[in-house]
Formats: sequence, C-alpha cells, structure tokens
Amino acid sequence: MVAGAVMYAVLHPSNFFAQAAAHQRPELRKQPFVVLDGEPPAEMVFAANHAARSQGVEIGMTRLQAEAFSKVVTLRRVIEHEHTAHATLHHVACMFSPRIESVEERPGTYALDIHGMDLLYGNATELANKLRRSVMTAGFLANIAVAENFHAAVSLACGRTGVSVVPSGCEAHAIGQLPVTALHLAPEHEATFAAWGIRTCAELAALAETDLITRLGQAGKKLHSLARGAWPHLMFPIEPNFEDGLVEQMELDFPVEELERLLFLLSRMTTALLERVRGKARAIAALRVVLRLDGGAQHERTVRPALPLQDTATLLKLIQLDLETHPPSAGIVGLELHAQSAAPYRAQHGLFLPQAPEPGHLEVMLARMRKLLGEQRVGSPELTDDHRPNAFRMVPFEPPPPRRNERQSFSTPVALRVSRPPHMVGVALANHAPVRVFWDGAAYVVRDAAGPVRVSGQWWSEANWCREEWDVRLENGTVERLCRIAFDPRSHCWYLQGTYD
Amino acid sequence: MPSAAAIRVQIESTLAQRVPAALTLKIKQTPEVFASGMAEVDAMLGGGIPRGTITEVSGPSSTGRTSFALCTLASITQLGNACAWVDVSDALSPETAAASGVELRRLLWLRMSAERRTKLTDKPWSRLEQALKATDLLLQTGGFAAVVLDMSDVLPQHTQRIPLGTWYRFRLAAEHARTALVFLTQSPCASSCATLSLRCEPAVVVPFSSQGETPLFERQQYQFARERNRNEGSPFLQRKPAQRVSWPAETLWSRVR
Repeated sequence: MVAGAVMYAVLHPSNFFAQAAAHQRPELRKQPFVVLDGEPPAEMVFAANHAARSQGVEIGMTRLQAEAFSKVVTLRRVIEHEHTAHATLHHVACMFSPRIESVEERPGTYALDIHGMDLLYGNATELANKLRRSVMTAGFLANIAVAENFHAAVSLACGRTGVSVVPSGCEAHAIGQLPVTALHLAPEHEATFAAWGIRTCAELAALAETDLITRLGQAGKKLHSLARGAWPHLMFPIEPNFEDGLVEQMELDFPVEELERLLFLLSRMTTALLERVRGKARAIAALRVVLRLDGGAQHERTVRPALPLQDTATLLKLIQLDLETHPPSAGIVGLELHAQSAAPYRAQHGLFLPQAPEPGHLEVMLARMRKLLGEQRVGSPELTDDHRPNAFRMVPFEPPPPRRNERQSFSTPVALRVSRPPHMVGVALANHAPVRVFWDGAAYVVRDAAGPVRVSGQWWSEANWCREEWDVRLENGTVERLCRIAFDPRSHCWYLQGTYD
Repeated sequence: MPSAAAIRVQIESTLAQRVPAALTLKIKQTPEVFASGMAEVDAMLGGGIPRGTITEVSGPSSTGRTSFALCTLASITQLGNACAWVDVSDALSPETAAASGVELRRLLWLRMSAERRTKLTDKPWSRLEQALKATDLLLQTGGFAAVVLDMSDVLPQHTQRIPLGTWYRFRLAAEHARTALVFLTQSPCASSCATLSLRCEPAVVVPFSSQGETPLFERQQYQFARERNRNEGSPFLQRKPAQRVSWPAETLWSRVR
C-alpha cells in the first residue's frame, strides 16, 4: 500500500428501510412484512423483507395487492425510525474511525477511512469482522467491504454478502464478477448495456475506453473507470455541526436552591464552552441557560450581550445577574448551557475620539442596573410617532460609535419635569379659568394662566384620550412655580402634568 | 554671596526627602471643561462645567436647573460622548431633551421606581438609595463623559442625610473616570466636595400676556449665582468673571411662532 493512501471500509446494510422498520419491532424479523408509504388510499409497498419477497411481494405493489398475501404484516413508513437507524449506524461507525462519509445514493451506507487504525483493531480483515459484529450487536445486518478505491468498496459492499477485503491493486479483479448494476447505473445506461450483452463489471472493463466514450460520452469514461475500480474519489467526512456541539450539561445529586452554589459549576461550564469557541477563533454571542427544576419544570433564560464576548468573568456575571433578576421557582436538579458563537468584536479606536464605556463593562453594568431598577427602567428614550405629549418608549442603551457632530444652534428650551403618574390637584375656577390650585396640602394663587389647549387622540379606539391643558404660574407666599395642569373631561378631575424648570 | 537661585536650590535639595520641590511654584493645569452652549453662562463658569469633578446646581422649583443640565448634556452628546441621567423622581421629559439637542441614543436614562406610596417588597431601597447606588455603578464603569444625578424633587432634609463620605467617594470616582458629575438639588448638599456650586434664583417674571395678545407662556428668565468655583484660582485667568448671570429660555412652541 502506498504511504499516505486512504483505505476505505464500507458498511452497507442491505435492504436498509426494512431493517430500520424491524429495528423498532424485533418480533417482526422472523415474519414476512412490508413497509407502505404514500398518502392513503394510494399507498404503495416501499420496502419488504426477504421473507415477504420470497412469498412474491414486490416493491411498488399497492396496499390491496400486499394485503392479498395472508401472512404478510403491513407497516407504515416512519421517518423517525429511519433517522434512529441512521444515528445508530453512524454511532457504530464512529467507534472505528474519526473520518466517516455518508454514501448519499445508498441509504444507510457509510464509508470509513481506516488508514492507520490497524494499531487499534488489527489488520483490515480483523477490523472488518469487528465492525460487522458491532453492527450486528446494534441490531443490523450489514455487508462490509474494504478496498483502497472508494467506489470499488461501495460496489462490493452492495453486491457481495459478508466481509470482503480487497488487496491493494486488485480492485478490478475483485469487482469483476459483480453485475454492472452494482455500479449504480442510470436507467438508460442499464438498458444500453443489457442490449449490448454486457452483464458484469469485468465485461465492461474489457471494452475499449475510447469506443465507450464515443458511444456514451463522458459518462462512458466514468463507467469504464468504475468498472476497473480506478475512479478517484475525494472524501468529504461528516463533520458535526460546531454550533450544535456548544452544549454543556450537568446533573445534580440533590436540588439546589441558592444560585451562589451553582456559580462554581456555571463557571466551569462557561470556561469549557469558551475554550471550544476560542479554538475556532470565535466568541460567545448568546448563552441559553436551561435549569431543570425539582418537579419536572424547566426554567430557561437567555443572556445576549451586545457584543460577542470571550471573557468568562463577564459572561458569568451576566448569567448571575440575569438569574438573580429572574430566579427559578424551585430547586435546581440539572443545568444546561447552550452557546451561540459569532465572530469576536474588533474595533480600532481613534486616539482623539471621545471616550465611550468599554462594551464588556457596560454590559455588566446594565445588567446590574436592570436588577436594581427593573427591566423597563434602564435604557435610552426613543420618541414615538404619536400626538400624545411626551410619548416615548425605552430602547436598550447602545450608543453609536463616538463621533463629533456639528453643534446645532438651538435656543435653550424651558424644560418640563413630567409628573409620573400625574398628581391629582384641586382647582378653583373663575370665568372658566383657574384662579387657585390646591396641591399637596398647600394653596397656590394663580398669577398667570395660559390656556386652555385642547388636545385629544386615539378617538377611533378604546384608548382614546382628551384633556384641556393650562400653563399656570403659581404663587404661595415666597414660593413660585410654573406648572402645566390639565383637566380631564371624562373623570372631571384636574391633574398636574408637570413643572417647568 | 550666593545668588537667590542657588539658595533656593540648596533649600529644595535639603527638603527633597520631606517636601519635593518646596519652593517651586506648582503650575496648575487648566481644567478640562464642557461648554453648556449658553454664552453668558459659559463666560461666568470660565468655559463650562469642569470634567472629572462634581458640579452642584441647586435651587427651588422653576429656576432653570433642568433646562441648564439638558442644555449641557446636549453639547456633550453632540461631541460624541455618552452621558447618563439618574432620575430619582422619574421626571425627565424625553421630548424636552430632544428639543434641547440631546442625542437620545447616547443618553442612558435610569429611572428610579415611580411607586411613591406603595412599598415594594422586593426592592428594599428607597429611590434615593437606588440613585446613589446607580451613580456609583456608573462612575465605576467609566466611559461616561457626564452623569447627572437629578434630585430636584427630593426634599432638602432627605439629601442632607446622605453621609458626606458618599460625596467624597463620588468625587474620587469622578476624577478617576474623568466624568463631569452634576447634581441637581433643592439645596446644596455636597459641600466642599463640589468643585463648582451654582445657586439658581428666581429672576425677572416675564408675564404670559404681552401687548394685549392672548396669554401664552413663551419665555422665562433664569438667574445663576456662582457660590463656589475652585478652578477660578488659576493664574491663567486674568479677569475675575461675574458672580451672577441671567439667561433666557423659551418654550418649544414659541420657536415656530
């Protein structure tokens, strides 16, 4: 064998769909059964085991035709069972090689790169036998073929029962006796070869390559190489999804009530996740904490920093603050951490740009503030498109990158200090204008009054509102205040909207 | 006979272990300031409010404390800095802030609990304690050019009870974080910790109705008195600025009139 050459072991469970169905119901293995697929009533036989075929059942029969056979059991096709079978076979294959490729055109077939595995499992024959036994232990019957050529190994596994090991350079001889259909031919090529009287791979390989290309085009070249066991293959091993693997789990022996005691475990799990993420030069963009509670319930929280982080301490602090703000309702018996990775944040700051809070510290500080004040009490105000005076909503504080703006020359406006919620006040009127205001146990004389300004909105909905606003200058001995008061015609009450300051 | 310079060098070298540069005049650095954007007030303050120190703006209601603070924040945010407003009474009007020119996305607004009569069981601190804690966190985080602690509606007897040590701590933290810390209060409470102390006084009353028109609240005149400014001892200041300044403010609707 050439140094560095790949050695393939191909695992092929014959009649995979029938085996997958029988895997879930082992009692059916000794009975004839068929698997039906399709929408009722137009169901067709999709797979059948050997016992059923020997009774005359064929693939493509209708349900009624299949049920005409008295002892044949009919099953519905369940996709989940096939997924389970795939997972089982993949798991077995993973025990023998780290590099595995799924052969897409043949369901349930896996090709393993076994180069260098002889130290663990012996030579190729021993490894193939051990692999076959492991597959049988898992509940499947599979053919194993070992060859240096990928396609030769696949053809052999599909065409020959049991274990086949091909010595280096003997691929053409090994697959020579296989029927040409083992090469997974297109229907038109199958018909052409049948017309030519070509039945085996050896007969196909014996044809002149140029003549075959003349008649079949470039497909002829590929088929000729396949029949000689010389068609090259570039292996694409199955790689587990990196994002799916970013999970850490832990079970606890007894329920834990205090969050502080979990921090040690959370720290270890976060560090482990960060190490994996750092290995791919990425950072953690979000962490989903799933706490399994005593009694079967689950408590789930997601920590999503504004920028992807690579710092355990910051992430841990964010988790702690979030869980303290939203504590679980019962003792914790299990922990799960699911991470989502993203490219780390990189920014080139200017030397002469204004200073800005450091993103990691800012995130922790905002989490602390949310814990101290509440979710809706921390952030930046954003004005909403509404007629109602002082309509706004809170948005997360994410300051844009520092840059200098041109100073717009505004005249200084008189600031209004809003009273939230509006205070109810007593008002004495004269000629429909306020002359005295009673507020917090004190009486104020109205020195100046401007109004009424009638405002209303949302008249088309349940949330409609209207009021008459007055700007008043109040005086109480030495104290003078400039206020905005409003009369609500619905409740017939006067309210203090705010104070000008 | 040795010259005066030689004697000075001799004395300084003798005292070097105990008092470094005993006879050399220490040049005071010109403090970095943030302009408020109002020419009259900036002239009185020597350029604006100082950075890395405490500025206290005190006075009764309707004397222009909030207007001044918002105007200053507008200047600071337009320079590209982040600012914070710690709102003890949850009284900030975002509409007025936007009208003053404050870039709202650069403003972190921390609203203390508005529950005035119901006691929250899960939050044992009063609003004032929450505000002090929030200010502490902001200063420790750093990166904010200005932090306004708005205690305008808190009664003086409550602010007076805040331990002096809190203000000392804030002063050091503000200096370390290079943050201009502004207090809005009814009466001065930070005492000597405040580098700049301004007192707001009622100014000339501008009547609502003028020239027989329909009464409309259009403008207001405010007045500041400087009580303390530690930065004015700088030798670079040639002329002592005025102690008192009067400045106008107008309502939003009078702009479009």
